[in-house]
Amino acid sequence: MSRLLGCRSLLGALFICLLFLPFGANPYWLFVGNLILIYIVLALGLNILIGFAGHLAFANAAMFGIGAYAVGLLQVRLSFPYWLALPSGGLIAMLLGTTMAFPALRLSGIYLAMATLGFAQFTQWVFLNWETVTYGAGGFRVPAVDFSPLALPPKIGIYYLSWLIAVSLVAFAWNAMSSRIGRAFVAMRDGEIAAESLGVTLLHYKALAFAMSGVYAGIAGGLFAGLLDYVAPETFDLFQMITHKAMVMVGGIGSITGSVIGATLLVLLLEALRAFKSTQEIAFGTILLVFVVFCPGGLVSICRRYLPHWQEPLHVAQHAAILPDTDSGDVSDSPPPPARAEL
Amino acid sequence: MLLTYALATGLTSGALYALIAVGLVMVYKSTGIINMAHGELFMISGFIAYAVHVQLGLPYVSAFIAAVVCGFGLGMLIYRGALKPLMRSSLANVLVAAVAISFILKGLARAIWGGQGDYIPFPPILSPMPIMLGPVMVIPQQIIAVGVSVALMLALALFFKATRIGKWMQATADNVKAARLVGIRVEQVYVLSFGIGGAIAAVASVIMAPITLLYPDIGFNLFLKAFAAAVLGGLNSILGAVLGGVIVGLIEQLAATYLHSKFQEVSSFIVIMFALIFMPNGLLGQRNIRKV
Repeated sequence: MSRLLGCRSLLGALFICLLFLPFGANPYWLFVGNLILIYIVLALGLNILIGFAGHLAFANAAMFGIGAYAVGLLQVRLSFPYWLALPSGGLIAMLLGTTMAFPALRLSGIYLAMATLGFAQFTQWVFLNWETVTYGAGGFRVPAVDFSPLALPPKIGIYYLSWLIAVSLVAFAWNAMSSRIGRAFVAMRDGEIAAESLGVTLLHYKALAFAMSGVYAGIAGGLFAGLLDYVAPETFDLFQMITHKAMVMVGGIGSITGSVIGATLLVLLLEALRAFKSTQEIAFGTILLVFVVFCPGGLVSICRRYLPHWQEPLHVAQHAAILPDTDSGDVSDSPPPPARAEL
Repeated sequence: MLLTYALATGLTSGALYALIAVGLVMVYKSTGIINMAHGELFMISGFIAYAVHVQLGLPYVSAFIAAVVCGFGLGMLIYRGALKPLMRSSLANVLVAAVAISFILKGLARAIWGGQGDYIPFPPILSPMPIMLGPVMVIPQQIIAVGVSVALMLALALFFKATRIGKWMQATADNVKAARLVGIRVEQVYVLSFGIGGAIAAVASVIMAPITLLYPDIGFNLFLKAFAAAVLGGLNSILGAVLGGVIVGLIEQLAATYLHSKFQEVSSFIVIMFALIFMPNGLLGQRNIRKV
């Protein structure tokens, strides 16, 4: 019996439930289910970057926005069909994401976090102010995705498209993280110099980590644009980033199953608190804080403790959340670079 | 005329950024943490002053004291309550926890003092009528702001030079192990730096609120600008933070005046990215040598 309580069976059960959701659900629950699928992809992309490759970046919401804007604008401005715009949007997000690997070669820890935060704010400013292309603060409408060749109504069509993409991206992440790529990421996270001396080319693998996370966020953005038929700049703000981060932390950093669990639970919470922005902020801040302080390994670390058959590719150590800042290591023992007394 | 006006405005906002950046740098120097909730300390203290002065109708001085006490206490509370236990695990966790706290504070302010987009005016100390200072027209509050900032920085310099606690902080920033060996209570120094950083943010908030207005999202905006200033100055130099603040303020105003008002918002993000990537040691910061 306990053999059945592994993470594969949990993932399988969740996705099968989601597969049959459209048969019993009203449009609102269909929408929530679709959001869950999209956020699974987002949390997974962020977890690959933070949990596996060990780069604390704050640009995931910006990548999500870039994907949504790219897919929407390609359809509206250049009249691409959706099936062509979606991969192109993913590609654009991937390219922009990869460029961030170059600063990441020089920066780490706090510096990288702040540089990506600056990039994220810059992206939002572009969405708001480059009116000739992005339609500015009001956002713009995207034509409903046409699934008529498959004889499906648009909302059901986009749901199954999201389901298909989410399942394949989870499977892809699972396999990639079990392969040489995942091992190289984890080696890089645990010690860049050690990884390099073992033959991990930092440039390649950093670029790959940012590219993967960019593709995941970009595709999720494209699906989001298709789901809402509408793209607006304020969707991709810092709060969006906090929701992704909370999903990763709640589920379990460095765990694929964790991202899926975290995304599912927190989308439900987000929807329950939809009416009040202040309550959402307080709730998500509190959840994130509680998990970082008291349960840094997330829910997955609890499952791992009590379920012997819970096996995952390259999960982090038991006490989890090891994201060393390769420059300074333990905070309290080696302080920031010595500074002269000035002023 | 346009130029002098831009310079006067830029100098005022530069003084504000410098004040907030000084708090950030103080915390960073002694603890190695960028306090992501620093902007929210500014915001909450401003709202506390507003509550005391406007909502309760108490005199300005009591509002000022309430705000400073709130900033000091909240800064210490953030460190003691949440960040301290994380210092041993990893910097990334500390950073994420601080972001989480900033969202909690922002949510609380939004719940208590109104919804998104509500800009709350804060009464200035002197009359809001602009006066002529030579050929330049300025608002009295601007002069007060610049004056208080300069005074506060001088006081801070004196604090580091002449007081025992100031010397402890310097020693801790310089070398934690050595500081421990000579009997400095490093943990208390960390707590105090967070507190003093918060108190400076509170002072800045009370002087600047009449100019910037108050709204729940102001904290994060100012945090980014102050960070731009700090990183431009070198992140571990207090003098650098002051210089960086003035430069960021001036760049912003000049960009807004001569390019387009839209560029005011974005110039600090560009400064952050540019400074981090191309000159990570900043103007006055010390070189960070990476040891293998």
